[in-house]
Amino acid sequence: MERDLALLIPELVLSGAAMLMIVAEMARAPRLVLAIGLVALALSTALTLPMLDVDTTVFGGTYRIDAIAGWAKLILLPGTALALMMARAEIGGQPREGSVYALIVLVTLGALMLSGGGDMMVLVIGVVMTGLGSFALVAYPRDDAATEAGMKYLVFGAVTGSVMIYGLSFWFGGAGSTLFSEMGQLEGQRLVAIAGLIAVIVGLGYKAALVPFHFWAPDAYDGAPVSIAAYLSVITKAAAFFAFAQVLRDLPRDVGWPLALALISAATMTYGYLTALVQTNLVRLIAYSSVAQSGYLLMGVVALGVSPIAVPALLVFAAAYVAMNLGAFAVIMVAGRSLDDLEGVGRSRPWLGVAMVVFLLSLTGIPPLFGFVGKVYLFMAAVEAGYLWLAIIGILNSVLALGVYLRMVVPMYRSAEGRAPAPVGSWLVAVLSITAVATLGLGALAGLLLP
Amino acid sequence: MPLLTIATFLPILAGLALMALPDRSARIAHGVSIAATGAVFLITLVIWARGITPGSFAQIEEVAWIPAIGAAYRLGVDGLSLPLVLLTSLLFLLSAIYSARVSERAATYVVLMLMLETASLGTFMALDGLLFYVFFEVSLVGMYFMIVGWGYEDRQRAGLMFFLYTLLGSLPLLLAIIALYLGSGTFDMRDWIDAPPLAGIAAMLALIAMLFTFAVKIPAFPVHTWLPAAHVQAPTAGSVILAGVMLKFGTYGLVRFAYQMTPEAFVQAGQIILAFGVVSALYGAFAALAQTDLKKMIAYTSVNHMGYVVMGVAVAALATDPRIRTIGLDGATLQMVSHGLVTGALFFLVGMLQDRAHSRGLGEFGGLLARVPWLGWAFILSAFASLGLPGLAHFPAEFQVFLATLNVAPWAIVAILAIVVTAALYLRAIGAVFLGEANPKWAEMPDLDGREKLVIVPLLILTVLVGVAPGWLIEIIHTTMASLGN
Repeated sequence: MERDLALLIPELVLSGAAMLMIVAEMARAPRLVLAIGLVALALSTALTLPMLDVDTTVFGGTYRIDAIAGWAKLILLPGTALALMMARAEIGGQPREGSVYALIVLVTLGALMLSGGGDMMVLVIGVVMTGLGSFALVAYPRDDAATEAGMKYLVFGAVTGSVMIYGLSFWFGGAGSTLFSEMGQLEGQRLVAIAGLIAVIVGLGYKAALVPFHFWAPDAYDGAPVSIAAYLSVITKAAAFFAFAQVLRDLPRDVGWPLALALISAATMTYGYLTALVQTNLVRLIAYSSVAQSGYLLMGVVALGVSPIAVPALLVFAAAYVAMNLGAFAVIMVAGRSLDDLEGVGRSRPWLGVAMVVFLLSLTGIPPLFGFVGKVYLFMAAVEAGYLWLAIIGILNSVLALGVYLRMVVPMYRSAEGRAPAPVGSWLVAVLSITAVATLGLGALAGLLLP
Repeated sequence: MPLLTIATFLPILAGLALMALPDRSARIAHGVSIAATGAVFLITLVIWARGITPGSFAQIEEVAWIPAIGAAYRLGVDGLSLPLVLLTSLLFLLSAIYSARVSERAATYVVLMLMLETASLGTFMALDGLLFYVFFEVSLVGMYFMIVGWGYEDRQRAGLMFFLYTLLGSLPLLLAIIALYLGSGTFDMRDWIDAPPLAGIAAMLALIAMLFTFAVKIPAFPVHTWLPAAHVQAPTAGSVILAGVMLKFGTYGLVRFAYQMTPEAFVQAGQIILAFGVVSALYGAFAALAQTDLKKMIAYTSVNHMGYVVMGVAVAALATDPRIRTIGLDGATLQMVSHGLVTGALFFLVGMLQDRAHSRGLGEFGGLLARVPWLGWAFILSAFASLGLPGLAHFPAEFQVFLATLNVAPWAIVAILAIVVTAALYLRAIGAVFLGEANPKWAEMPDLDGREKLVIVPLLILTVLVGVAPGWLIEIIHTTMASLGN
């Protein structure tokens, strides 16, 4: 028991902090709420570092402390801190801002449970925790758009969540256990395994914004504050992929899940980019591009179990995606929500322009940026797993991606009619510098850091 | 001293230093640019003086990068890459001198140029598959912004076409590199060359992927369509670098990757590759003949000249006699260097003409030789070199390529027809622009000034030197090609 709790220290710190944050919010001290959140995230990250090499489970196998869970914390916790800073820059001074910070930390706690889940019940708790918090976050502005977006998100989430729980009951029936490590028992019970699989794909696919469960994403991102959209597009999504990895790695491959996910992956990236090509609203554009990026992340899941670099690929690309997507959203917070708002930004604010170019080229997958390194790992994993066609589709989509992202780069360097740039707050400057440096530099370092 | 690393990263570091300077006026920016490219040129001369060794790579610099997958930071030179490295550092230095009059956003321009130099040198010296790909792609980004930021009328479209075309073109190479990695468990290009890791159908697929990438870059018919657009719209220094340096990525890759890493498949596909080379050579010449825009015309002659390089490599693969094989490879490599010198000079000269007249149309000039003798004679000399006149840079290269072709695949000698066509088109261009009745519109046109002479004269001297006494250059190339041919 004591050993189990000791291994759970990062999660415990975070949950304790979340409680404190709610108390501080009741005292109407939003700065204190933010401070507690940032300190707890930093502390939790630091506590994770010594546990990276641990590979064990706690509480009877229900919760995993392994490479995926460990590195997931190193990706999700700093990402959440950046999102908190962005939220502060956007909604600082507005009523109820403290509750947003508290909710963000709670949702991240749910994300950690998803990435460490070793049992169906932990998975369900993770899904519900991230879901409920996210609905409230999206609806925070209390205007029509946000309420509609939150409602849509809630209904979609409730339906897919229930389908998933229903499907998991098949697996429980077939394997006689709620532990994922027992899913090998499903060998030979093809129909039961497939029934549960479909349900899990529905439930997690919704969180990960995979086609065809992505409909909520553009609406929710567009209705929510930009910083919340940024947060949802990276943290809960990355967590959904870590959950995929935890659930599927024990499921026999002959059930057919690799092929099913490969098809979904191909459809997701193609559909995401094709739709992004015609958007004029920047948030929706990035939303569809995020859908496409989900397709790439799924390539790592497809290769799980046969390619030894599948897990590193998933982790590296997830880290890159968190950095570059948060950065791109931060630029949108400065520039504005419409494609026309980017007009001349690169000339009136050269550094902001350079940062945006770095984020967009990294999203495209141009070396030597972080996104490229992640994509190379993913392609390698897919080819090694025998999915050459998927790698080729991924590569063809990279060209489509260039079209999508250059649509944003080109207006940035058109001459603008002397719009005086508003000053960028120090929180956003910090977020932009951190994400830009990470996108630029971590690509070269990723190889040295990984096991 | 790790001179290769210093030469590669000095430009980009100078660029970063420039970005950090408080005063980024055009004067300072161009000062930094000339100093950095000049220093790199001197360093590459020292690398040359240090020499290479037959049969392997020399001056290797290696640092662990991603040990888990066998990727490392590895640089080195051999007889194929060293001449191209020297060419690169020279052309960048001359471009920096020529560009000193660019006043529009000069600091950004200089940073992009320096980034391009780092990418180009890195591409030629990288000995790690992943590292090569990184440098190869970074050059795309630099050139895109170069065209879009400082190009002519239709630059947005040309830049986008260039970027999309070459990105689509280079991604198959990534697949091929992944395949080579999965076959060998390392990204070390030396291992891939010493023991080609793929065989049979896998090797053939990898070869097709590589050929696609390099054909776009070379560019070979029928994937050359991005080139005229990009060249015409690019600023002058951009055109020089694009033609003089970046087209060589394709031919360099053709030898380094396709020929050396999938040798058996390359021999099997030899006749087809040869056919593409012949068609490119002929098509480039005839298409150039049809142009009325000087820049576009020279761009199409690049397709023609690169076609000879492809032919040289293809006949080397088909030859059974090691001597013939070496001749083909020697000729192909020398042709890369000659093309860089001659076409570099031609693009500079057309740029200088355009600076004066703001026009590139063949029909708009006439009788300029009397008006601007320096510009005129320099153009005539370069044009004669470009059409392959004996005693000038292209002759020894094309002679070797045709010699090897005649020995191995006599049918392919039809490509020699292209030389006649090239001669016709250059004579026509010289006649239209520099001879004939003087157009009174240009009566006030000034001749080359000191800076422009400084740019053009070294190229002309080298053009003659390589034509008359190519021994020193062929010796470097031959050191490696002799062992490659055996």
